[in-house]
Amino acid sequence: MKILYGWVRELVDVTLTPEQAAERLIGAGTEVASVTRLAPAGLRGVVVGEIRAIERDLGESHGHRLLLCRVSTGREELSVVSGAPNTRVGVRAAFAPPGASLPGGRAIGMATIRGAPSQGMLCSERELGLGEEHESGLFELEPDARLGADLVAHLGLEDSVLEIEITPNRPDCLSILGIARELSALTGAPLREPAVALKESNEAAADLARARIDAPDLCARFTARVITNVTVGPSPAWLAVRLRAVGLRPISNVVDVTNYVLWELGHPLHAFDRDTVADHAIVVRRAARGERFTTLDGQERTLTEAMLVIADPRRAIGLAGVMGGANTEVGPRTTRVLLEAAWFDPACIRRTSRALGLRTDAAYRFERGADVEALPVAGARAAQLIADLAGGSVARGLIDVYPAPRPRRRVSLRMSRVRRVLGIAPRVAEAARILGGLGLPVTERGEELEVEVPGFRRDLVIEDDLVEEVIRVWGYDRIPSTVPGGVTGVVSQPRTLRQEAALRQALAGAGLSEIVATSFTDPVTDEALAGDGPLEPLPLLNPLSEDASLMRRHPLAGVLAAIATNARRQQPDVRIFEIGKTYGQHQADIVEPRWLAVAVTGARGPAAWYRAPEAADAYDAKGLAEHALAALGVTATEVATPEPAAAFEPDLHGVLVTPDGRGVVEFGEVSATVRERFGIDAPVFAALVGLDALLDHEPAPSRHQPLPRYPAVARDLAFLIGAGQPVTAAEIESALRAEAGPLLRDLTLFDVYRFPDGRRSLAWRLTFQAEDRTLTDDEVNTIQARVAERATAGFSIALRSR
Amino acid sequence: MSHPRVDLIAGEARTAIAAARGASELEQARVRYLGRQGALTLLLRSLGTLAAGERPRVGAAANEAKRELEALLEARLAEARARERREARGRQRLDLTLPGRRPPRGSLHPLTLVRDRIVEIFAGLGFSVAEGQEIESDYNNFEALNIPRDHPARDMQDTFYFSEDTLLRTHTSPVQVRVMKAQPPPVRIIVPGRTYRRDVADATHSPVFHQVEGLAVDRNISMGDLKGTLALFAREMFGPGSSIRFRPSFFPFTEPSAEFDVGCFLCHGGGCRFCKQSGWLEIGGSGMVHPQVLKNVGYDPEEVTGWAFGMGIERIALLRYGIDDIRLLLENDLRFLGQFA
Ligand SMILES: [Zn+2]
Repeated sequence: MKILYGWVRELVDVTLTPEQAAERLIGAGTEVASVTRLAPAGLRGVVVGEIRAIERDLGESHGHRLLLCRVSTGREELSVVSGAPNTRVGVRAAFAPPGASLPGGRAIGMATIRGAPSQGMLCSERELGLGEEHESGLFELEPDARLGADLVAHLGLEDSVLEIEITPNRPDCLSILGIARELSALTGAPLREPAVALKESNEAAADLARARIDAPDLCARFTARVITNVTVGPSPAWLAVRLRAVGLRPISNVVDVTNYVLWELGHPLHAFDRDTVADHAIVVRRAARGERFTTLDGQERTLTEAMLVIADPRRAIGLAGVMGGANTEVGPRTTRVLLEAAWFDPACIRRTSRALGLRTDAAYRFERGADVEALPVAGARAAQLIADLAGGSVARGLIDVYPAPRPRRRVSLRMSRVRRVLGIAPRVAEAARILGGLGLPVTERGEELEVEVPGFRRDLVIEDDLVEEVIRVWGYDRIPSTVPGGVTGVVSQPRTLRQEAALRQALAGAGLSEIVATSFTDPVTDEALAGDGPLEPLPLLNPLSEDASLMRRHPLAGVLAAIATNARRQQPDVRIFEIGKTYGQHQADIVEPRWLAVAVTGARGPAAWYRAPEAADAYDAKGLAEHALAALGVTATEVATPEPAAAFEPDLHGVLVTPDGRGVVEFGEVSATVRERFGIDAPVFAALVGLDALLDHEPAPSRHQPLPRYPAVARDLAFLIGAGQPVTAAEIESALRAEAGPLLRDLTLFDVYRFPDGRRSLAWRLTFQAEDRTLTDDEVNTIQARVAERATAGFSIALRSR
Repeated sequence: MSHPRVDLIAGEARTAIAAARGASELEQARVRYLGRQGALTLLLRSLGTLAAGERPRVGAAANEAKRELEALLEARLAEARARERREARGRQRLDLTLPGRRPPRGSLHPLTLVRDRIVEIFAGLGFSVAEGQEIESDYNNFEALNIPRDHPARDMQDTFYFSEDTLLRTHTSPVQVRVMKAQPPPVRIIVPGRTYRRDVADATHSPVFHQVEGLAVDRNISMGDLKGTLALFAREMFGPGSSIRFRPSFFPFTEPSAEFDVGCFLCHGGGCRFCKQSGWLEIGGSGMVHPQVLKNVGYDPEEVTGWAFGMGIERIALLRYGIDDIRLLLENDLRFLGQFA
């Protein structure tokens, strides 16, 4: 909200500069976004001039007739050329004599135009930086404007505008009066509320209009004044200038007064043409469902029973607290004005305004809470101003329907509570002075204050609200810096966090980069990845865009997007992981399981002189998953065939299974269809670990094994597997292990070779060791022969001669 | 002490050692004089054949010569080995300027680094970590925190909804409610987590972001303790010279409420673009837990008081690392990710 500082200073005697005032307000919790001078930057030396004579016609230029005029500034007369259409003798207008400057730093000097000397320039609104108007010509001033007066001063532009941003609890600061009250409390300068010297006529308002509230839950109070014999016309310049300065468009004297008082006192008012109100009778009632109503902006709106209208016996004439109606609008022919000042339920106004998408200044205030006590004052102030500016007279008496007057709340404040909450407290007299300065009547009772809360501070409800008022004005800087005492027990971390920390350390240590990705995805990608998964999608009711319209259901969404981004930016080699969540509906529950996703693509490592370049493959994904599991103390070496999933290539998709039979890792090559959706050309290998299931799998504490005391003996066995033989490494390995018996210490597959004809060679190193003796060659030879025989015979494969 | 027979052998041996070229010739010399069949060894072994009076003299002289020769051999052998290594290196010299065999270097995300640091600092101050869910009820996210429906305070946090009652949490504050409902006071927790607001993404806004929330509730805990705790945090997080400032503000779930600013550590108060020339960086919101919130979770506001604060992890990461666009954080460009430690 724009606040004119000069206007504030009419109500409070502060000597602060606008900038200083802004600083004080910010320090007390009212945000001031900006302080701007009203006068356009660079406008200097322009004065009120009068065209005394037109001396010569200099001919046409760009469709304008150039006239040589004699212009007076009161002190001197100058020759000036003007091409404006409204150039005429006797007009007073903005005149820039030589030495003046216009916005943008344009300096005015002497010139010669068509051979005639021009000593200065008569200016348009646009040239002065005061508006867009240019074609209509000179910026005309009132005929009685003082000749030679500085234009900036004459227009009241020597002022500054503060852009105020309030927090939702302080609607009272949405007015000149509210800001003046704050400054008064902060500086001690006395507050001068606007004086209302109401001159009432003999005609009784009650004879001219009636009012009734049919929905007292939504309208606590309805007041009205009637002003008769008005002449609707434009507002005087001082009023128009003020309204423009705070960003309002002047409309007519009557309407402008309601806006003026809204800004000054913070209370929304509405003016009806009294003679268009049927039976001159107002009814405040709920709208009928489907009731149609045309608001002042010309829009027809369909209402619901949750909305409140101002009506006459025949129809709605205003959308309560939001906008008036076209059917009773004040216009040029209006002579009697019915002026409404009412109090509406904030939640009702907010719902109505949101439902209709109609955000007005009035609704903004009513939904934050208006001052029910201020209605008579606001109405009187506006009525008198209308009478003053539009002629006419204020009818005698206030129409005031107030079925259940609201008592002022009383809240007490113990100084002991202040100290307890803040750690410090001012003396009780100081606290009383502060609260009094805020306009709150205070009674001192020893170390306790009793505060009466006026209607403009309905936000003050409990004792701690007063604690805040005291410290806000006394100064937050006075709050001491202390450290809480006491111990609350051992500091703990959830197991989830420890688990994630272990994974991060292991994977970053293994050369992967951690990513953090969005939780949102688009429906098509989500369906492609997770359409066959266990979760139902969770679409947002109000997404920002279609491509972020639901929660991701698949843990690959983040890493694939990151790979795509990097691929587009010439970074084809990516090794990343993400610890994040997926989200979805699972039967009746909304779930958000945690996942580890690992993905690699491109080269396995950066190019280096000591290493041949190698492309990453599915074993990278598998190995990284095993590495991650090891960091959690989980072993899962057995590979099982998973249910097919759209995210992975069917033949390159495995599950790692723990010894107790639980699948804990899914790994393989990401399906080409899916990655192409992300715009990734190269194969991607990934592994997924569901982290929640591993939480109830806390590994047993490690137990020490004594170191071997006798030497080990190693033997290598290589097997040749025919092309097309389906036997797997794991099958051979488990056979070797079973046959080798208890003396086998270690079994390592150290060589895999695939011949061009499809045959495979697999070589294992078997390490034997006994705990109680040195093994003999004969002993080991016997086991080796048995093991080799079991494998060759069992799988019909050949032992490779070495 | 000497003896002619010993002197004769020792003299020969010294000559042989001096003449030896390289380790293998030294070894030959050792075998010849000190080995099992070596001249000096045989002499020592034959002491029994000597006259009783001569034995001590010859024995002593021979032992002395043996020690001397062993030392000499060892010294020459070390010399010879060093020379041989030098010569071998000379034949295939290494270019030590070649890059070393580096293990791959991974990285943690800047948001992780900042979050871990914050959690670590507060752990040192006695705060345990608590977590909650991102998809929350309207009640926990708003109503329990004193933000009723149809209240303008809801405008402060534009919200993503799944249904009228289910939403994406707009702050980590619902975890306050969950923790307090689950345990009696005292409470001292820190809550890191992902949060959402319906803001269009630009250089300073992201609809997906992260917060850390702190909560302390106890019998005797004041806003001064809040300020002191945040001051300690600021010094740990932003440097020992950091100061903090409170500004009055409004949050429906705290009373009194305060925004807290940290003295700009980039310009040290002189004014720069990060602090908008003010010398202060806005870090977060805080305040004393509203008595109504304490009542909502079954605590007695006359028995206990508490405070809470919240801050954006992104905001701190941006400031700490000098990042000028929040969107970089979720883009995951490797060249970006590799810059933080
Ligand atoms: Zn700065």
